[in-house]
Amino acid sequence: MKKIVLSLSFFFLSLLAINTAIAMENVPIEDKMLLSIKSSDEEGFNDEIYEEDEEIKIYKGIPDPLEPINRVFFQFNDKLYFWLLRPMAKGYGTIVPLGVRKGIKNFIHNLAFPVRFINCILQGKFRGAVDEITAFLVNSTVGAGGLVDVVSHSKTLKIRTHDEDLGQTLGRFGIGHGIYIVWPFLGPSSLRDTIGLIGDGFLDPKNYIFKEFKENVGLRAYKEINDTSLRLGEYEDLKESALDPYISIRDAYYQYRKKQVSK
Amino acid sequence: MKRAMWYSAICMLLVVFIFPSSANSAEPMEMIKNTTERIIKIVSDPKLKGKSMTDKRRALIRGAVNEIFDWEEFSKRSLGRHWRKRTPEEKKEFISLYSRLLEKTYIDKVEGYSGEEVHYLYEKIEGRYAKVKVEVITEKGQKIPVQYRFIKKDGKWRVYDLIIEGVSLTNNYRAQFNNILVRSSFKTLLKKLKKKVSK
Repeated sequence: MKKIVLSLSFFFLSLLAINTAIAMENVPIEDKMLLSIKSSDEEGFNDEIYEEDEEIKIYKGIPDPLEPINRVFFQFNDKLYFWLLRPMAKGYGTIVPLGVRKGIKNFIHNLAFPVRFINCILQGKFRGAVDEITAFLVNSTVGAGGLVDVVSHSKTLKIRTHDEDLGQTLGRFGIGHGIYIVWPFLGPSSLRDTIGLIGDGFLDPKNYIFKEFKENVGLRAYKEINDTSLRLGEYEDLKESALDPYISIRDAYYQYRKKQVSK
Repeated sequence: MKRAMWYSAICMLLVVFIFPSSANSAEPMEMIKNTTERIIKIVSDPKLKGKSMTDKRRALIRGAVNEIFDWEEFSKRSLGRHWRKRTPEEKKEFISLYSRLLEKTYIDKVEGYSGEEVHYLYEKIEGRYAKVKVEVITEKGQKIPVQYRFIKKDGKWRVYDLIIEGVSLTNNYRAQFNNILVRSSFKTLLKKLKKKVSK
């Protein structure tokens, strides 16, 4: 079953890659230039941005040749959130105490430690790898199997979590996003980050514990409800402050991932 | 020896030039601290709670924010290359609408204040630019990194951008404004802003 799913997704991705190659041909040169300009001013103060950049014709962070389809899926996810996820998360949040919800979140985060550990190593972040393995060992024992995040609350340990994933590792190697993709159910992503997500799936223990497709989807849905109950109102705020929520979220995704890769 | 003399000469010059200008304006980190504390006081004041006090409360928050935010600089950076093409009147109208949108967004956020902790991490000054990094800890234990970007104009530090979890507000709005401007007109943009603000 898993084999079929994987080979199907790879087939789909390779199709996308071909599409991208075709689509990129149509991206105006200004955009390509802008992309290179944008990535070069990482931590600067962006002073020149409005002054003399005559050649910048279009401001665009991430190529989006699939915009019409992406917008449809964006709408789909938006409805999914307001009609299903939000009411469920709200109800769930009133029944399950905050401490328990945090514990579950910590547990799932702790379990996914191999993803962060391996990606730290792949990126040559050995301090990060050591931090991650220490956090995993301490939280799994002292933190009651990962339910309590002892490490990040400890002032003496001085360990922070390194949320590394394969998408960031690929970015670190100089691979760009390719194109922006909004997946139904999963939300904003890119070609690169989707490949990263599939790769990370092999490193995540929960995919070996929950091998059955139904169980796996069930777990993911549950995790989503639990996480959403802890972040209620964030999506609403973002949407409320935007003139075009689709563009706002696309750009936020681009900026957020860029920041993560550069860290 | 000669080198040492040069260094001391340069140092003295620096002291002479830098001190008078920084003496009459507050440092960025201090400004953020003061303003944040002032706003927390406003939103947690029991006398200012409730619907009947909404207008007064909002006016107070607006006043505090206006003191440190440079709306023109926000607008410039959010319009990017489109800024220069606008007439002074258009610029004025845009600044007024955009600042109201940002205020509204900001006020909606701080009015939901429920005892979040703010940690002031560091400040970094480079010439006429500065950044101040803080961390907001929500009641649910989430850490949100926030960075304020400052520019010095006429000896005064003013905020021109806010970066929340790595996402710059002006960059985000620039992407949105540009998308509207390349597809339609400046008039449409103003119309959309007006609609958003009056909601």
